[in-house]
Amino acid sequence: MIDDLAMVLASSVRLTVPLAFAACGEYIAERAGTINISVEAMMLGGAFNAVWGASLTGSASFGLVFGMLAGLVIGFVHAQFSHRLSVNTYVVGLALNALVLGLTSFLLDSVDLTGHQVDALNIPVLSDLPLLGPVLFAHRWPAYLLVGVIPLVWWLVQRSRFGLELRAAGENPQSADVTGIDVRRRRRQSVLLCGVLAGLGGAYLAVGEVGAFNQNMTAGRGFVVIAAVIFGGWTLRGTMAGCLVFGAADAMRLALPALGVHLNSQLLIAAPYLLALLTMMFLAKTHRQPAALGAPFVRGIV
Amino acid sequence: MRPSPQASDTAVTTPDPRPRAGDDQPTAPSVLSAPIVQLLGIGKRFGAVRACEDVSLRVQAGEIHGLLGENGAGKSTLMKILLGLVVPDTGRILLRGEPATITDPSAAAAHGISMVHQHFSLVDRLSVWENVVLGDRGRVDRDRARTLVREVGRRYGLEVDPDACVEDLSTGQRQRVEIVKCLRRDPGVLILDEPTSVLTLEESRELFTVLRRVVADEGKAVILISHKLDEIVHATDRVTIMRQGRVVARRATADTDVRSLAREMVGRELSKWTAASAVGALDALIEPGTGEPTGGTALLDVREPAAAPAPDPRPPAGEVRLRISDAHASTTDRRPLLRGLTLEVRAGEILGLAGVEGNGQAALGDLLSSLLPLSAGRVEVCGAPVVAGRPGAMHAAGVGIVPEDRHVSGCVLDMSVAENLVLADLSSVTSKGLLSRRRMAARARQLIEEFEIATPSPDTPMRQLSGGNQQKVVLARELAAQPKVLVAAQPTRGLDIGAIEYMTERLHAAARSGIAVLLLSTELGEILTLSHRVAVIHRGAVVGEMDRADVDTERLGLLMGGQAA
Repeated sequence: MIDDLAMVLASSVRLTVPLAFAACGEYIAERAGTINISVEAMMLGGAFNAVWGASLTGSASFGLVFGMLAGLVIGFVHAQFSHRLSVNTYVVGLALNALVLGLTSFLLDSVDLTGHQVDALNIPVLSDLPLLGPVLFAHRWPAYLLVGVIPLVWWLVQRSRFGLELRAAGENPQSADVTGIDVRRRRRQSVLLCGVLAGLGGAYLAVGEVGAFNQNMTAGRGFVVIAAVIFGGWTLRGTMAGCLVFGAADAMRLALPALGVHLNSQLLIAAPYLLALLTMMFLAKTHRQPAALGAPFVRGIV
Repeated sequence: MRPSPQASDTAVTTPDPRPRAGDDQPTAPSVLSAPIVQLLGIGKRFGAVRACEDVSLRVQAGEIHGLLGENGAGKSTLMKILLGLVVPDTGRILLRGEPATITDPSAAAAHGISMVHQHFSLVDRLSVWENVVLGDRGRVDRDRARTLVREVGRRYGLEVDPDACVEDLSTGQRQRVEIVKCLRRDPGVLILDEPTSVLTLEESRELFTVLRRVVADEGKAVILISHKLDEIVHATDRVTIMRQGRVVARRATADTDVRSLAREMVGRELSKWTAASAVGALDALIEPGTGEPTGGTALLDVREPAAAPAPDPRPPAGEVRLRISDAHASTTDRRPLLRGLTLEVRAGEILGLAGVEGNGQAALGDLLSSLLPLSAGRVEVCGAPVVAGRPGAMHAAGVGIVPEDRHVSGCVLDMSVAENLVLADLSSVTSKGLLSRRRMAARARQLIEEFEIATPSPDTPMRQLSGGNQQKVVLARELAAQPKVLVAAQPTRGLDIGAIEYMTERLHAAARSGIAVLLLSTELGEILTLSHRVAVIHRGAVVGEMDRADVDTERLGLLMGGQAA
């Protein structure tokens, strides 16, 4: 029984990690006022590029860097279109999602990919603890990066000058502009940061957990990330809690059949998204989003 | 788009190349030093609109300089040029005698020019200290920022809690934050754009006391933009008057008075109370109050012979047309908008609802446009209850509304005048679901004539009309539906004097014809000109009510500030 529990919990954590990386990025982008739906493209592109990079270099760890670069490039394209050329951010996001899905499916057939996976790192002593050990201290090494990334993101948004200006850009861009802040630049920067982190999330999914790339392997996890930010009410703590909830739902989908519970498998696949929809229904009205979220900023009449 | 090339002459003490006879004698002590700000021949066009033309302005250190003009006279554009938000087409800027180019707000800040914006430049969900250090460079030091806010607050008498969240502050406190944000950079020039439009009388007095201190103790210069004559007369040392983008006069404030300023500002003699209403000279509407002047900066002690004609004899009390009882409503994130608002408007009267902006007027307007549902309380029109928040219910019950912001909810700018005129009453021009363009055009022509709307044709897009004519279209549409109740929210905001006179007459006529008129306004002058009865709204509830004849401004001011009186 305790083994089953440990197995389900460990798998929840494993499935949460890629979401958490990407959600850190999405949190930054949304606080600056962009609903970055191309986070799905960033994750998928990151996943593909990570495997490709690992195949080229022969090192899964280099694959992670390739994944981050893919996210960065997609973020760059998104940022330039929506916060320099003022193209509607949703249109840009949808186009990028479709493009990256098509492109990765096409490249999957045209390049040679070999399986690579980063090393597992079992923390000595701690990983031997009953229950907690396998759940928290026996993962692939990039997962432990979260221990640094989460506080860093919090500090960046809540305590640094950059974060202050970013929040101002997301709350009241007109005021921020009058005060002398380059609103569009802050927003572009936040989308770039989101790209790096979402790329890392996707890369972790590919070379961390699975060890290979298959078509549309993120399967809407990017949208789950957006739901997690809403679930968390645009706080980092809440966002991480949201990732854990959705990660756990995903783990249950995998674990229930193994535990002998037989449910309709299509329903199980849909379960995390149903959960996301339900939570949004209850939380979307009570949580306060950044006041200028999704609103394009055009300099002009004050 | 760049400043003209004549900027090559850099002589520091060059006098104004175009001196105007007899109106340029500074009264400030620092007569001999170069003016701290000097604008020469500034011109700016926006498309076909000339916002500024050949405007020159000199401001000395140690003076409060008034910039007076109607809405649209070019005051704000001129200041945006000085602040680097707008680039002038022609002209030069001299700061302390040195030519300067100002390309963006941070350049202006580097030159020591700082502005308190009419609609504050604060970010609501950040704390006070975060707002104050926004726009700085370098590391964020919370403790230093807090100390700074406290220090600046103490020095100028602008105490405010640095850790408070801006959205929890009252409008007056927000303005303090805004001013602290400017003063902490120790600017040489402080610009205030219509600073009292959101303040109570008491808060306005405090503000001018602070400004006087800034000027007297530290030799800064203050530029006060206003269209309120009272403020200009009481708070400034010199005044520059603008009309239609040009400077029409420069005066030492001591040598002038409200009447002559009003004449110069609007360019013609006006009937006493239209002028008073338009420019906010309350004392022309009220016998001078007995309020104590505070340190020479009192707002209300003009000794102008005041004949205050009641607008109309009070009409016989008609039946109650609109009754709102104990209305409660809040935003989706549960911040209260209305807290037990109760009021009654009778047929044939104009009820003026006075109050400082942001005290629930907008919510009341929304309620009566069926945009806001109530969580408690009821609305009755002619005795029959109306479901609040159901689209079209208020209109169907006979409530017409001239909304606060005509661009947002008054009209559709990209549709034609004719289409806008029938929008609220489509059934009169449709049959079997088909729109009759012939009937629509006929109706439009009739209304255009009746309401004297100046438009090239009924098919002209609404966007091309002037603000006054857009407002006429909205009013015509609402009155054509023969409402039982007419709600006018800030009906004259942003209009020129002619259009204000027109609106005033129309609202009176509407009341005379038996419509119950509810006037929501933040301009006390407008309320006093138009209303038969005055009620005061504060924090989402009506806190006091009086007949027009019994009004005294002190009491009104206290009520608007939330003090029971």
